[in-house]
Amino acid sequence: MILPAEIRSFLTDAGSLARFTGRFFSQGFRPRYEMSEFTRQCYLIGYNSLPLIGLTSFIMGLVLTMQLRPAMLRYGVESELPAIVGISIIREIGPVISALIFAGKIGSSIGAELGSMKVTEQIDAMEVSGTNPFKYLVVTRVFAATLMLPVLILLGDAISLYGSYVGVNIRGTTSFYLFWSQVFDNLVFSDVMPAFIKSYFFGFAVGIIGCFKGYNSSKGTEGVGRSANSAVVVASIMVFIIDLLAVQVTDLLGLN
Amino acid sequence: MTKKSINNVKLGGFVLGGVVFLVLLLYMIGKNQHLFGDTYLLKARFGNIQGLVVGNNVRYAGIETGTVSEIYIVNDTTIEVSMLIDKKMQGIIRANAIVSVGTEGFVGNKVVNINPARQPASLAAAGDVLVSRSSVNTDEMIQTLSNTNKDIAIVASELKHTIQRINSSTALWDLLNDRSLPQGIGMAVANVRSATGRADQAVQDIQLMIRDIKMGKGSAGMLLKDSSFALQLNDAVSRINAAAGQTDSLVIELQQTVAGIRGDIDTGRGVANALFKDSVGVKKVTGILENIQNGTDGFNQNMEALKHNFLFRGYFKKLEKQRQKEEKEKAKAAAGGIKVKTAL
Repeated sequence: MILPAEIRSFLTDAGSLARFTGRFFSQGFRPRYEMSEFTRQCYLIGYNSLPLIGLTSFIMGLVLTMQLRPAMLRYGVESELPAIVGISIIREIGPVISALIFAGKIGSSIGAELGSMKVTEQIDAMEVSGTNPFKYLVVTRVFAATLMLPVLILLGDAISLYGSYVGVNIRGTTSFYLFWSQVFDNLVFSDVMPAFIKSYFFGFAVGIIGCFKGYNSSKGTEGVGRSANSAVVVASIMVFIIDLLAVQVTDLLGLN
Repeated sequence: MTKKSINNVKLGGFVLGGVVFLVLLLYMIGKNQHLFGDTYLLKARFGNIQGLVVGNNVRYAGIETGTVSEIYIVNDTTIEVSMLIDKKMQGIIRANAIVSVGTEGFVGNKVVNINPARQPASLAAAGDVLVSRSSVNTDEMIQTLSNTNKDIAIVASELKHTIQRINSSTALWDLLNDRSLPQGIGMAVANVRSATGRADQAVQDIQLMIRDIKMGKGSAGMLLKDSSFALQLNDAVSRINAAAGQTDSLVIELQQTVAGIRGDIDTGRGVANALFKDSVGVKKVTGILENIQNGTDGFNQNMEALKHNFLFRGYFKKLEKQRQKEEKEKAKAAAGGIKVKTAL
C-alpha cells in the first residue's frame, strides 16, 4: 500500500494517539493511584491557569459586549444586550476561548515537560526504578487537565459575565441585579449543560495530546520544542473538532 | 510539607469556586423554570395558542408565577395548556380568573396571562380548568387595520372630490366673498331677536289674559266663569222672548186699529174723514179762518185807538218808562261785572 508520506505520517500519528488513549484508559482506572502527584498537577494546571483564563475571559466579555452594542442599537434591542452576551458566553465563547488558552498554556507545558523528560531519559529511569511512568506522569496530568478545565471554564464564564456587566455600564446604566436577572432569565439548561459537558472533552483532549506529544518526543532538544509546538496546534484543532461534534450531538439529541 | 498543603488549600478554593458558580447557574435557571419549590397545576383550554411552547412563562396580573408544563391537543378545536403555578399563588388565583395567550413586548416570547375577574369566586384548586379568552391575534389586527386603511382611502378620495367641487363653485365663493352679507345677517338676527322679544311679550300678555279669564276677571271671564251671570243671561233672554211675544200681539192690535181708522176714513165718519175727505168742509174752514183774520185786524185798530185815548195813554207811558229803566240797569250790571274782573 503506497500512500503519500504526509498521509502516512498523519495516520501513524492518529493510530499512535488512539493506542496511547487506550493505554490511558486501561491504566488510568487501575490502582495504584498517584493522588499526591494528581493534586499537585491539579494545582499547577488548574489554579495556576486561573489568572490567564480570568484575564482573557474578562477581556472577552467586555469586548464582546462593546462590539455587539452598535448592532443591537441598530435593531433597537439594546436592552437585550445582557441576555445575548450571557447566552453567547455560556454556550460558546467561554468554553472555547478558555479551552484554547488552556491548550496554549497547558498543552505546551505538558508537551515540553514530558518531552524533555523523555529526551533526557528520565522516563526510562523511572521505569527502571519501579515507578510506572505512565501512571505517574500521564494519567495524573490527563485527569488533572480533564477535571480542571471545566472548573476554569465556569470561573472564566463568571469573570466574563462581570466583564460584560462592565461593558454594558460603559455606555448606559444597568444595575447589577437587573443585569443578573436579564442574563439568567434567558438561560435554560440546554444552554449550560452541553457547554459544561463538552468542557470535559476539551480538557481531556488538551491533556492527552500534550502527554502524547511529549511522551513520544525524540531527536533531542529540537524534538522537545517540536513536540510542545505540535501539542498546542493539535490540541487547539481538537478543541474545535470536539466543539463541532458537540454541537452536532446536542442538535441530534434535540437539546440545542 | 507546608507549601504542598497551602497549594492544596488554594486548589480546594479554586475547585469550590467553580462548583459554586455551576450550582448557582443551574439553580438560577431552575428557579426561573419553577423546577424547585412547591407548585400546583392549573389548566386552560384554547382554540389557538399562537405558538405557545412548553416552558413559556405564566403571569398572574403581570407577575411571573409559573411555566407552561404541557400542551395537549384535546380535539381538533381545543388545546389544553397545563401550567405549573407557584404554590404561593394558591391563596390568590380564583376559579373565575381569565386566561389568555399574550406576547412579551411586541415581538417577544409568548406568555400565558392569568387575569383576575372582578366577581367573587372560590379559590382555584389544583387541576382546575380556568376560563380562557382568545386574545388579539396580530394577523387579525393587521387584517382589520388593512380594512380600515381601505375605508380611509375611500373617505379621503370623496373628501377630495367634495373640496374640489367647493373650490370650483363660483356661487359659494361669491357668497363667501360678499362683505355686506355679515351685516345683513347681523341685522336679520337683530330683527329676529326683537320680533322674538315682542312675540314673547305678546305671549306673556296672552298668558296674563288667560289667567285673568281663568280667575273670572273681566266680562269675558265673567261670561266664561260666573254661573249666576249665565243664569241671569238666560233669564234676560227668556224675558226678551216673552217681550217679543207681547210685541207681536201689540203689532196685531195696532194693525187692527189702523185698519179700523182706515175704514172710518174711507166710509166718511168722524173729524178725520172731514179733514181728509170733505172738500166742502175745507172751504167752510177757510172762510172761518178769513173771518178770524178780519176780526183780529179790527181788534188791532181798536187797540191802537185805545193807546191814543187819553184815558189809557198814561198807562202806556208808564209801561214805556219801566221798560227803559230796566235796560239801563242791565247796562250798569254789565259794566260792574267788568270792574269786578279788573279788580280781581
